[in-house]
Amino acid sequence: MTSNIGFVSIVISCILSLFIIILFFKHVLFGGPLHSKFFALYKASFFLIAASFVLLVISFIISDFSIVAVYENSHTDKPFFYKFAGTWGNHEGSMLLFILIISLYGYLFLLFSKQLNFPLRFTTIFFQTSLQFAFLLFLIFTSNPFEKIFPIPNQGLGLNPILQDPLLVLHPPFLYLGYVGFSLVFSLLLGGLICNYYNQSWAAIAKRWIFLPWTFLTFGIGLGSFWAYYELGWGGYWFWDPVENASLMPWIASTALIHSVLVMDKTKKLYNWTAILTILTFVLSLFGTFLVRSGILNSVHAFANDPERGLYILFIISLITFSALVIYILKSPKQTEGESGFVLFSREFSIAANNYLLIFALTVVTIGTTYPILLSVFTGESISVGPQYYNTILAPFVFIFLIVMAIGPYMKWSKNSFAVSKNKLIAFLISSLIVTILASLLLKNQNFIFILGVLCSLYLIISVLYEFAYFKNIKLKQFNFPRVFSHAGFGFLILAITLHYFFSKEFTAKIPLGESVTYKEFVIKFSNYFSKEDKNYQELTGEYEIQKNGEKIVLKPSIRRYSQPQQFTSETSIRGEWLSDMYIAMDYTSDTSDGIGIRFYHNYSIRLIWLSYILIAIGGLLSFMRRKNEQ
Amino acid sequence: MKNFLFLLIVFLLNQQNSFALFSQDREIKIYKNIRCLACQGQSLNDSNSDFANDLKKVIKEKLNNNETDQEIYTYLTARYGDWILFDPPVKKSTLLLWFFPVFILVIGIFILYKRTVFEKSKLS
Repeated sequence: MTSNIGFVSIVISCILSLFIIILFFKHVLFGGPLHSKFFALYKASFFLIAASFVLLVISFIISDFSIVAVYENSHTDKPFFYKFAGTWGNHEGSMLLFILIISLYGYLFLLFSKQLNFPLRFTTIFFQTSLQFAFLLFLIFTSNPFEKIFPIPNQGLGLNPILQDPLLVLHPPFLYLGYVGFSLVFSLLLGGLICNYYNQSWAAIAKRWIFLPWTFLTFGIGLGSFWAYYELGWGGYWFWDPVENASLMPWIASTALIHSVLVMDKTKKLYNWTAILTILTFVLSLFGTFLVRSGILNSVHAFANDPERGLYILFIISLITFSALVIYILKSPKQTEGESGFVLFSREFSIAANNYLLIFALTVVTIGTTYPILLSVFTGESISVGPQYYNTILAPFVFIFLIVMAIGPYMKWSKNSFAVSKNKLIAFLISSLIVTILASLLLKNQNFIFILGVLCSLYLIISVLYEFAYFKNIKLKQFNFPRVFSHAGFGFLILAITLHYFFSKEFTAKIPLGESVTYKEFVIKFSNYFSKEDKNYQELTGEYEIQKNGEKIVLKPSIRRYSQPQQFTSETSIRGEWLSDMYIAMDYTSDTSDGIGIRFYHNYSIRLIWLSYILIAIGGLLSFMRRKNEQ
Repeated sequence: MKNFLFLLIVFLLNQQNSFALFSQDREIKIYKNIRCLACQGQSLNDSNSDFANDLKKVIKEKLNNNETDQEIYTYLTARYGDWILFDPPVKKSTLLLWFFPVFILVIGIFILYKRTVFEKSKLS
């Protein structure tokens, strides 16, 4: 019953969307006033999608196995938590969430844009509706979440155990609120271009619709990174896995966008560039969805492998990109030469410079992710593109990026302000150099890359802290807290990554019960094990005594065998200290004659990495709130 | 200031021996660069599978025979193809992979250079 109502509300919402599109064209082509219920219809379409989503959640919670998606991804033995979050732990449910969020952003826009230019408002809603319509068709024809099964099975197949983690509740919705959220600024751009309203005040409106999804995306990526660290048991925080890259691509593009829209707002420059970045950000978000959903990639995220769906999404992306580019080319504002030039060492110059570096990084990530796929399609040759590629090619530019990031805020808009700030910048250099040299001597590491990494990130951190220490001189309201948080966060992030890269230790070994192995200053003894049974899994826990410089700690990693579906997972055991983590994960093996395999990691400054993510995201949140206050 | 720069140069010159980029245990560095073909996206270093352990033994032996990294990689790619290396080699079919980003960067620098003026008065 719920399934019928759910499906019907999706279909009605789809018909309403079509109706809104027709009303828009009627108004534009034949004149006459816009239908008085135009916005009300849009709100109705949103509530219908929301209702069907709630119904799907309920079906998952009550384990309604007459629905294929529930049958394939749930089980009565599962804790309530995972029944609930399992709603988006599968292709159909996550596509419905995807559409819900497109629609939600449109709805929020309607609520908070009452004072806006009327044509801009309804044209934006028209574009948002078109996006919603395209994906509703996709949902109805290829991935109906309410598809029924008969006879009704007694029991479901269960959720992929790797996904059975509390973070499943937060990570996917946050990511979607992030990259699907860029749909609104995309619609706003097309609306602005069509209504000839793409100007400085457009930038002022658009800012908050960029900051909000950017904040969610940053949190979402951070949560994913944290999840991978303790759940996958590979000991790291970032693997340059294609699916991670799929979320990083729109993040880089939108970070560039945040900065270019500021330039547009303050100096009336970068109009065309901002438009291109807006389109790029949203297209990359869709492209990420395509990569993950098409089954091209083999990963924990690719839970549905169906080429037909991939083709349909590819078709939607092409159509959206093509239409956006046509509108942009026909309607983009003409700029005079004076408007497109930069003064050396002005604020907008440094932002433009870092924008190009971001585009470079974006190119690296995009080409690194897609090249192996394209190469194997066209030549049949298979290659791997791993962390080494990204590290080699990105590292040198990160250093320049950090320096420009530090210098930029000390430059004034449209003025060559190098001379004014020269002394400060040199003072930062000297102080960061002194700290770096001390650190290098103290930590006994004189590697060139290590020194550069520490130096450049300290330079950024010190330049931000200086601003912070002297903020008494300006009014609190004018102080740019968002930037201070995000920039300091990024400085700490690179510092933490550098320390992690150079000081972390890792090794693997097979240890029989009662034996111990020695690696550098660590002695690891497999002292005991015990097993227990839980509702939906059996668990074997090992006890490992780790001795380091006379100190002894015990870590208890485990292996779980889930019953529904039958699958093993490895639960890590982590002992965190201020600067470092000790981390053990066990391997699952049936043959324990020569011991159980473990992976041991001594990870430096991991906590600083989590802290940096939070700082960066807080910056985004503050920007959003600040822009709100200004209006 | 001059004294400071002098000290800096002395400091940097003393570092010359350690200019090897990304120094790490050589053995682990090699393991990290090799895909465990029996696993899902893991490197040899992260895996205890039979495949990984056997291949580690082979590599250790080669290291003891003083073979260079390049010799070891050549040996492995001859058997398993480029798929086994996480660090893609520079060759004809990967030219775009390595140099397209550089091309984008050069274009970016060129555009920025063309559009930058030294003083505000020069803006037409």
